[in-house]
Amino acid sequence: MSERSDEPMVLPLEPSGVSRRSFLRAAGYGATAAALAACTRAPERAIVSGLSRGDVVAPGRPYFIATTCGACPAACGVLARCVDGRPVKLEGLPGHPVSDGGLCAVGQAQVLSLYDSHRTDGARTFAVRGGEGAPAAWDAPDAAIRARLDAANGKVVLLTGPVTSPSTLAWIAKFRGAFGAEHVMYEPGCASAVADAHAATHGLRVVPRFDFSRARVVASFGADFLGAWLSPVEHARDWSALRPGRTAPERVSKHWQIESRVSTTGLRADRRVRIAPWEAAGAVTELAGAVAGNAPTTPWIAELAAELLSARGASLVISDDPDPAVQSQVNALNVALENYGATVRLEEGRDGVGSATAVRALLARMKAGEVAALVVAGCNPGHAFPGADGFAAAAAKVGTVAVIAPMPDETTAAADFLVPEAHALESWDDAMPARGVVSLRQPAIVPLRAARTLRECLARWCGDSRKEGALVRDHWRDETDGGRTSLAGAFERAFDAALERGHFEARAGGPWKTRVTGPQIPAARARPDAGHLAFVAYEKTALRDGAQAHNAWLQELPDPVSKCVWDNYACLSPDTAKAMGVETGDVVRITVGAASVELPALVQRGQHDGAVAVALGYGRMGTGRFSDVGPEWLESRPTVAPGGLVGVNAAALLPADREPGATVVVRVERTGAKRALACTQDHHTLHVPAHLAPHHGEVRDAVRTIAPGEIGRAAKPEAHAGGAHGGVDLWPADHAATGPKWGMVVDLAACSGCSACVVACQAENSVPVVGKDEVLRHREMHWIRIDRYYDGPDDGLSASQQPMMCQHCANAPCETVCPVLATVHSSDGLNQQVYNRCVGTRYCANNCPYKVRRFNWFDYPREDALQNLALNPDVTVRTRGVMEKCSLCVQRIQEWRNDGRAGGPPMTACQQSCPAGAIVFGDLNDPESRVAKLARDGRAYQVLGELNVKPVVSYLADVRRKDGGGGTR
Amino acid sequence: MSHAAAAATHATDALPPVIDGGKTLTDVTRDVFSPLERKASPAWKAGFAAALCALLLGVTAIGYQIATGIGTWGLNRTVGWAFDITNFVFWVGIGHAGTLISAVLLLFRQKWRTSINRSAEAMTIFAVMCAGIFPLIHMGRPWLAHWVFPYPNDRGTLWVNFRSPLLWDVFAIGTYFTISATFWYVGLIPDLATARDRAKEGLRKRILSLLSLGWDGSARTWSRYEVACTILAAIATPLVVSVHSVVSSDFATAVIPGWHATLFPPYFVLGAVFSGFAMVLTLLIVARKVMRLEAYITPRHIGAMCKVVVFTGSIVALAYLTELFTAWYSGNHYEKFVFLNRAFGPMAWAFWIMVTCNVVAPQLLWFRKVRSSVGAVFALSLVINVGMWFERFVIIVTSISRDFLPSSWSGYAPTLVEWATLVGSFGLFFTMFLLFCRYVPMIAASEVKTVLSDRKGEVRP
Repeated sequence: MSERSDEPMVLPLEPSGVSRRSFLRAAGYGATAAALAACTRAPERAIVSGLSRGDVVAPGRPYFIATTCGACPAACGVLARCVDGRPVKLEGLPGHPVSDGGLCAVGQAQVLSLYDSHRTDGARTFAVRGGEGAPAAWDAPDAAIRARLDAANGKVVLLTGPVTSPSTLAWIAKFRGAFGAEHVMYEPGCASAVADAHAATHGLRVVPRFDFSRARVVASFGADFLGAWLSPVEHARDWSALRPGRTAPERVSKHWQIESRVSTTGLRADRRVRIAPWEAAGAVTELAGAVAGNAPTTPWIAELAAELLSARGASLVISDDPDPAVQSQVNALNVALENYGATVRLEEGRDGVGSATAVRALLARMKAGEVAALVVAGCNPGHAFPGADGFAAAAAKVGTVAVIAPMPDETTAAADFLVPEAHALESWDDAMPARGVVSLRQPAIVPLRAARTLRECLARWCGDSRKEGALVRDHWRDETDGGRTSLAGAFERAFDAALERGHFEARAGGPWKTRVTGPQIPAARARPDAGHLAFVAYEKTALRDGAQAHNAWLQELPDPVSKCVWDNYACLSPDTAKAMGVETGDVVRITVGAASVELPALVQRGQHDGAVAVALGYGRMGTGRFSDVGPEWLESRPTVAPGGLVGVNAAALLPADREPGATVVVRVERTGAKRALACTQDHHTLHVPAHLAPHHGEVRDAVRTIAPGEIGRAAKPEAHAGGAHGGVDLWPADHAATGPKWGMVVDLAACSGCSACVVACQAENSVPVVGKDEVLRHREMHWIRIDRYYDGPDDGLSASQQPMMCQHCANAPCETVCPVLATVHSSDGLNQQVYNRCVGTRYCANNCPYKVRRFNWFDYPREDALQNLALNPDVTVRTRGVMEKCSLCVQRIQEWRNDGRAGGPPMTACQQSCPAGAIVFGDLNDPESRVAKLARDGRAYQVLGELNVKPVVSYLADVRRKDGGGGTR
Repeated sequence: MSHAAAAATHATDALPPVIDGGKTLTDVTRDVFSPLERKASPAWKAGFAAALCALLLGVTAIGYQIATGIGTWGLNRTVGWAFDITNFVFWVGIGHAGTLISAVLLLFRQKWRTSINRSAEAMTIFAVMCAGIFPLIHMGRPWLAHWVFPYPNDRGTLWVNFRSPLLWDVFAIGTYFTISATFWYVGLIPDLATARDRAKEGLRKRILSLLSLGWDGSARTWSRYEVACTILAAIATPLVVSVHSVVSSDFATAVIPGWHATLFPPYFVLGAVFSGFAMVLTLLIVARKVMRLEAYITPRHIGAMCKVVVFTGSIVALAYLTELFTAWYSGNHYEKFVFLNRAFGPMAWAFWIMVTCNVVAPQLLWFRKVRSSVGAVFALSLVINVGMWFERFVIIVTSISRDFLPSSWSGYAPTLVEWATLVGSFGLFFTMFLLFCRYVPMIAASEVKTVLSDRKGEVRP
């Protein structure tokens, strides 16, 4: 527990002059305050701190800066909670048009990446590519790069990730003009195909906005839109709003997921259809035909088509297929279902989408020696491009390669110059994730590194020496008033207001008129021969394409599906694994042509027998650093073997010349070696193992599931206080709460398992990273975990995702057993852990029915000491030998109290981050509070309520339809 | 003469004498005290060296663990106790035989106890010392262990939690050690005086003079000694029941299925006596050989202890069955699962070791042939010790490793440090016991002299 002092930081001056005593006191305060202020890394000026509680930035007091997440093109709004000039926690920005208050796990973890000491400080010039970079003053590489670019005039290419920033795009245009350069954008995943398909069918190369909040029937072909697809925070928010139990029955959505691997999204679908990877294109085409009126041959397609047709204008078909032809079929479906303008909105689409075609053409030209200078920014082609050395071989033919990247990576290994890329939290920027929405970024800290954004690099190379902030502001000033000084004051006011809000709505373009042309017919896909499998590469919720591989929080975030950490692995269906004689943890070799990788296998229920699925984004250069993560002791094993990396790069296995969407046929064989996978959950269902079940088919009722028709019916009697004991209780209510009684309600129908809450809690409560070996020993430290329980047969597999944290039981079993009263109950209903009283008997953890208590088995210093700056100053760092657990963010409650109980009840970190709004915290003693109302809901129940421990956390029963399956094996 | 009395007389007639070999009072004094005055035998030296090595290994392991963290044990977020508390309960249990023999059998005037009570009591004290280590070192921050004592301090209202069974343990174990040590020492005084009288002038004599508290052998001294012993026996007797009952509360008061059982106090007490007698057998069968005390620790003693073992073992078996019945009859599916999981789950091997050692093996002791074979009894005593260690392991680990929420189920595997600590506790025990054999009269000579048989082999009243 930690409490901040109530000491006022503003000095009250005495009206009757200054006595010696008061002068000394004032001088003391003043000197201390000045010293404290001088110790901070507060930005100089022109940063507009919005939503701060009071406008005074005082030492030790938090203030908030609205900015924009830089982790992916979705550009969610971020509210950076800063203390003493440094951000310590990122929150979702309420009211932001994209994310509206939620923030995903990756976004939450950015605060750790900011403090990564491995980020390069100052530019590097490499005498030999792949060699050691000599540090250089900023002027030197600028001049050198400019000279090289000048020399290469007309044969310069700028390769970037997706760029949605209008000001950066303006500078890219200037750069292209200055050096005769070409701009190519690379984007992992299917965005390129979606944009290409829209270019073909609608004449607009955009990724449209997909609005799940209006979609009553959703058909997702493989798109993991709640996990890692396009804009997961926005999608999860919209999707959860229409879940049964959360809206009126007539508005409830039905979610179909058609996929070959098992995705986070698929596990939460109402109906999950398993198909082979090579069947995806055919299935979309058949569905398009069915919607157009042809009789489908596949039963589930007929059902799906009928449901989609019954929800014209309120349905949505999406796909993660990288083949533009398949995406054009998806577009045709959405056209036929009249979804454009309703659930698919081109007018709010995203420009600045990568193009796979352009990247392929670029590689061909590089190989042909037609590119003299290449500037790479915002992407890591050396790691992400298919083929073992897809990029390096081509880059070898390019005269000059300059890379703008946070730290040395696979791409800089083929570069002449490395210009460090500024972190999103220490730079100015803007982003336009949707037409008409400009999200603004401002630094939350004085830059920790001599580093730049792409825009600043381009400006320098074009001869402009303005600072970052000026580049962005001036861009918008020029855009807004054309430089007329008469409007300058109004602009500054408006721009400042926008900075405070974090975004502004730009003038939208005129009415969108698109010509609609018919779809292309996707090419037939090869079916692997017997003995071969189709390779499916996917992005995980945490690591995505690998840009986050240096983030220890994300490496240790349990995957929402497999619950594994610190590795990627080859997912095989149980039947396929059995046929190969492979079990989880057996290393398999996956071979395609001459390339092969070795990975541990993971037997994944619900996956198609013909597929082997491997996550991208692993095997990143430099991840060998994590060999230092976790404690060192007699039997410890390092997270990464010496000289090794975290996981294996699956992209290296993909043939470079493959047509998009074409089946990658691989051979998978046992090697005989073993490599243990660190998973946080060993038993994956609520079913007791059959041979140990007291009753046949016994199911634990930790997760309660009801059918949609049961919503609103009389609640089960045990759902309410009194429990199964009928109100008779040996325990007196010894904590008569007169003030607030804090409680929480978690809606299992809304939870997608995205794990944003887990990282949010880790950041808020300074939860240590323990490393792979400790997780293998079941000693992960997360205060909130998500229990994933599979349900149903492999065909039509689904799962409930149950966030589980300390239940703050009123009759807490932990409290009675502690010999030294280190865990006690507060008057406002919290179960408190007193770290400095704890002697570490672990009796409390043994006696916890929910197993939410976490013990400090060792001291867990960070692998990177600079990252101690991310520690929350309001929370005690726990020492070795003490117990810890969820405090319901007691420091936030305390802060709310100290601030005079301003505003509504405080929000816990997990609640704040949850895109789906599945977690509600508040005062149970206030019958009108949201949490109290939800706790009385017919779906509410308490996990293990029959033990009469009286938890203050209630769960709302998951709502499931019982139909499922229908695909192939 | 009634039929019962006749039968009793007949039984007494059939019993072999308590002390063999027609020993005289002088013989007893010589036999008991000369080993202390001789040089150590090679067997003793070898045993002591081995025990000391084991102790040093344990000390190293504990030092490393305290310096590095509890993480050097194989525990995890689900299994918070394993070897540590298993060893604790095991050692506390071992101690019970000593108290039973010295206190309960004294009150019941069982004369045969006289030649084994001293070493059984010593075993109690050493076992409690071994046991006491584990609650201390199992703490995450053992340097703050004094916080579990309710002493006056300046921490305001922050005191100990009298609702916690761990605190009850502090009192139970503290009381047990204090009473046992006092009782043992008081019983030693006449023999210490004998040793003093036999010693030559020098340091040894001075130490023994001090320890024998001016014993003069007068009738008044003897009378007071007898009274003190009886009072201490009366105080110690309830401890036989209370200590392990309290220890069992660590589990019985918890909410965890497999721990939460009202059966535990009697079940633990009888289990403790069972394991304690097995340990006494193990120790004395070796000691009588090594220290050449076969005449004093006779087949009659071994036979009597075997009968206690088979009796308490049968009660333990009944407790196992009662647990199973309770789980079935409760209708509580968590309870039922725990026992099915014990018997057929991933740690079933431990359960079946327990059943084999504690239920099946002791049944051999129904046979007189087995009871009269010293070798067989020794082997069985070892088997029972292993079994009783596994009983505590099974109760502790299988219950918590798979409790309510399947998401948190986990396994457990001990580390080298835990093995070394277990070995170290045996090292401490045997080091102490061997020192005891060497420096303290191992047999209560003064008491044995009261039960010496005459030439006809009758027990003197």
